[in-house]
Amino acid sequence: MATLHLLSHSPFDDGRFASCLRLLERSDAVLLSGDAVYALQPGSAPQEALVGLDPSIHVFALAEDHVARGAIPLATRVQLVDYPEFVELCGRYDRVNSWL
Amino acid sequence: MKFAIALFTPPHSPAARRALRFAEATLAGGHEIVRLFFYQDGVHSASANVVCAQDELDVAAAWSRFVTDNQLDGVVCIAAGLRRGVLDEQEAARYRRPAANLSAAWTLSGLGQLHEAAQEADRLVCFGGN
Amino acid sequence: MMRSMLIISRQGPWSGPSAREALDIALAGGAFELPLGLLFLDDGVFQLAAAQQPAAIEQKNLSANLQALPMFGVDTLYACARSLDERGLDAGSLALPVDVLGEDELRALLNRFDHVITL
Repeated sequence: MATLHLLSHSPFDDGRFASCLRLLERSDAVLLSGDAVYALQPGSAPQEALVGLDPSIHVFALAEDHVARGAIPLATRVQLVDYPEFVELCGRYDRVNSWL
Repeated sequence: MKFAIALFTPPHSPAARRALRFAEATLAGGHEIVRLFFYQDGVHSASANVVCAQDELDVAAAWSRFVTDNQLDGVVCIAAGLRRGVLDEQEAARYRRPAANLSAAWTLSGLGQLHEAAQEADRLVCFGGN
Repeated sequence: MMRSMLIISRQGPWSGPSAREALDIALAGGAFELPLGLLFLDDGVFQLAAAQQPAAIEQKNLSANLQALPMFGVDTLYACARSLDERGLDAGSLALPVDVLGEDELRALLNRFDHVITL
């Protein structure tokens, strides 16, 4: 049973990102939205942490938040999603854990 | 698929809008929303008293319209609401407060409604944060 | 078949209503005899610290609510070993008995539940 983790806080300001990554199981996924997309900043520690995750862990980001924040170049393992895809992902994974 | 959607942050938070767009996509995708449950500061997103600038998205109003237009079950946690001053007519009268500010689209009820929704739904998706 | 819920409480006891409101979810679910788990993670482990005197900041004591959990069917409280350790808390001197879990065990814990709420 795999979990889709939702993050929406900046990883630089907040402990949720690190705590979430420590709890990830193989085949889980992470969806970054809101300020959590700052974790995709190239050359940053959070981005390195995401790139270094087990290959079975998918990394998604909400496209609108990526665009709003300047559409920075993304690591190849990151997949942008829109809302219909976000909904579909919630169904694809067995549970959704939002780091509120 | 059946979804229960919960919101934990106020209408000016990015999560409040994001939760709404997610909820819209859920219905557009042919899924069912068993219940919407607003908890913690999410109770403010059910306020009828929010005033937005003309050129800004009125998220609270948009939520109310969404609930009404789609005949959804929109519940605001009564304990969280009382604590934050989001009251319906009954609670305003009970506690002798000057105003009821809960939008008519929503009902105040207990956390049991969140649990009931979680029992019925295939997925519980919570929104909060930035 | 009832769906189970894990509540992860990661805020300190006095940083606003979050700790209390996470607990309320657990108590409400327990009152309906639903299968629940409660995990203290990150600053949430501070809720378990001994000798707290919330009256000093005019707050209500949460420990009565925590102690009520077994009566509401939430028998096992879980705490993250790393969170305790980082914060200098010793599992043996907490205000309540908890199952202290390492990271592998925490991942396994999450996988046992149908729903997870992380407050």
